[in-house]
Amino acid sequence: MFFNSLKFAVFLPIVFIFYWFFPNKSKKNQNLILILASYYFYSCWDWRFLFLLIFSTFLDYYTAIKIEENEKKSIRKFWLWLSISINLGLLAVFKYYDFFAVSATEFISGFGFHVEPVLLKLILPVGISFYTFHGLSYIIDVYYKRIKTEKNFIDYSLFVSYFPLLVAGPIERATHLLPQLKVKREFDFEKAKEGIYQIVWGLVKKVVIADTCALYANEIFDNYTTMNSMSLILGAVYFAFQIYGDFSGYSDIALGTSKLFGIDLLKNFDYPYFSRDIAEFWRRWHISLSSWFRDYVYIPLGGSKGSKLFQLRNVMVIFLLSGFWHGANWTFIVWGFLNAVYFIPLLLLNKNRNNMGEFKLSFNLNSLKIISNIAFTFAITCLAWIFFRANTIHQAVDYIYRIFTNHIYSFQYLHIGRSVEKLIVFLVIFTLIEWNNRNKIEPISGKYSWIKLALAITAILTLGIFSDYKNFIYFQF
Amino acid sequence: MKQFILYIGKILVLILLIMISLDVFYTYVFCHTSGRNKTELVLTTEDKNYDLVILGSSRAENHFVPSIFNSKGIKTFNYAMSGSKLEETALTLKLMLAKNFKIKNLILDVDLNLNSNSHSDNIRATFLPYLPISPIIREHYKNIPEYFSYRYIPFYRYAVNEAIGYREVGASIKSKKINTFDLGGFYPLPNRGKNLYYDMSKFSPKRNKGYEEIRKLCKENNINFIPISLPMCQNTMKDFGNYFQEMKKLYPEIHHYENAVVDDKYFSSCGHMNVEGAKKLSTLVLNDFFEK
Repeated sequence: MFFNSLKFAVFLPIVFIFYWFFPNKSKKNQNLILILASYYFYSCWDWRFLFLLIFSTFLDYYTAIKIEENEKKSIRKFWLWLSISINLGLLAVFKYYDFFAVSATEFISGFGFHVEPVLLKLILPVGISFYTFHGLSYIIDVYYKRIKTEKNFIDYSLFVSYFPLLVAGPIERATHLLPQLKVKREFDFEKAKEGIYQIVWGLVKKVVIADTCALYANEIFDNYTTMNSMSLILGAVYFAFQIYGDFSGYSDIALGTSKLFGIDLLKNFDYPYFSRDIAEFWRRWHISLSSWFRDYVYIPLGGSKGSKLFQLRNVMVIFLLSGFWHGANWTFIVWGFLNAVYFIPLLLLNKNRNNMGEFKLSFNLNSLKIISNIAFTFAITCLAWIFFRANTIHQAVDYIYRIFTNHIYSFQYLHIGRSVEKLIVFLVIFTLIEWNNRNKIEPISGKYSWIKLALAITAILTLGIFSDYKNFIYFQF
Repeated sequence: MKQFILYIGKILVLILLIMISLDVFYTYVFCHTSGRNKTELVLTTEDKNYDLVILGSSRAENHFVPSIFNSKGIKTFNYAMSGSKLEETALTLKLMLAKNFKIKNLILDVDLNLNSNSHSDNIRATFLPYLPISPIIREHYKNIPEYFSYRYIPFYRYAVNEAIGYREVGASIKSKKINTFDLGGFYPLPNRGKNLYYDMSKFSPKRNKGYEEIRKLCKENNINFIPISLPMCQNTMKDFGNYFQEMKKLYPEIHHYENAVVDDKYFSSCGHMNVEGAKKLSTLVLNDFFEK
């Protein structure tokens, strides 16, 4: 059940009605309704994996209690590592086993031995990377006594399985979400209205921006050997907008949906393409994942303490892990590596926290510098996205090589029956809307909200792509 | 909560108003323009007289040159549409007859389209703007699963079919005509092929509802029905010639031209001849059926 499907448009109001109009509106009933709805939502993909989700939930629920019960460090550590091993083990089997098997046999055949890899060819359970990380954050927080264990299994299950965030995040923290699930939610009109605006804007980003960009980007990437430099450059830019529209659109719908139930989720995007350097980009892109790696990997490794060499190692580790988290392919690892390479000079020059605050533009040299920094950051981000989108490293390298060697900058006519430049104006308008509203969550609220809402709905209906429901990119992770 | 329900109610009314307004606007544009596709052409003209009408898919659209027939005094138009399946072709003929087209002869491309009884989304979409005003289109599509949504949910048919989406509306408003109309509906293909091949291993001819409907309509309206199978490149004919033999068993009345032109130099791709091939085939068919 996709957020942009008719099925979800029926599912959401039904859950909303049950949630707010159930005769005994206790916290317990509210959570029970949400957990049932979440399990139904998840089983719409593949009901068999529901058991995996419940198992993972039970595992973390039980091991957390065991950690808290014991004061002895070695026993606490045992339960912690048991949970981590099983969680990561499941992730490894379902997501990474085949990748490791193929990589190992390729490595062995490099020495002249021929070995056939034994592949499991398992279907990746939707959302496994997300709910595994939910559970891990909880168990680690309990171990470090940052939070108390959750004894109520329904409340804990809801923390892991809450349907708006279940399949593609944001990756929630127990410290943020659980306290909200422990109290009865009262309906808040303003919050619900905000939620509606966010859902509508999320849909604009997904069905209008991302899916339209996907048409062009897919055509260009799939036929990159026949494309000229201009098309290849635009292909990378279109993919950058596609992945942004797709993932931030999904997050907006998730956050908006959750607001309808009176629950706030963590912000996942903060206009990342207006970042002035790559460090700022990573503070604004997939914030819940970046902060997860910061808190549970980077800081435990020593973070920014210690020698520069030590810091470099830590940065490299989290970027490579972040890349690997996205998928079992070398392309994602190179994508992570490339981002680390972009980040390291800032770290070495102590400039990684330079662009923390807001900025305003006016007619002066400083503004010109800001604009050129934003453009440069966007350009290097697009370059890294080529690795993210390509099927193999060879394809990505060849794609980039052709950008710089083809030297033909005319606008090509694509097989989809459109000229390659047709999307530029469309994306400029979208960028201007986002720029003008970068201090808000979405651009619909505020003055003339009814007119803006009508325009957004018209854009969804007329410019949106509904011919076949396009999957969200991050569902595969 | 009351306030929110009222608010949602207002939004739903807003959505409905937008959908109705857009539906009215799009339908008006499609009903008041012509020249964007052959469906529009059929629906915006009446009382046409033809000695010969050509129907079928791109294989017919690219293979029959009306000027060759016209030069012999046979008034011809190629109404074949790229991507069209026999289901849409049958509807095109029904609309022609309803619009009082007088047709003496009808050439129908029947070969690969017997592989399935499926439809073409893009060609079907070209009929959908006229759904509210054409009882024939409504009757033709009344049994498809999406009929209710297409018919009763405003703007639904435009939202889910890109072929009649905003780009097509824009092009219609700008009156961008397609240039095949100047060539009597013929779409010439360039290039000369070499070692062409098309894998037909999964193809098998089946009885086709659309084909039988067309045959029946021709009989009822005294139209000389000429079903024709068209040339394929030689490598494919060597491997899959059997497909055409099986067709003969299903429909013996089909005239077999699949081997009429064999050299790859007459082809643009394996299933589509270039302009030279099209001229060669059109001359052959002209001689066989109209100059005996």
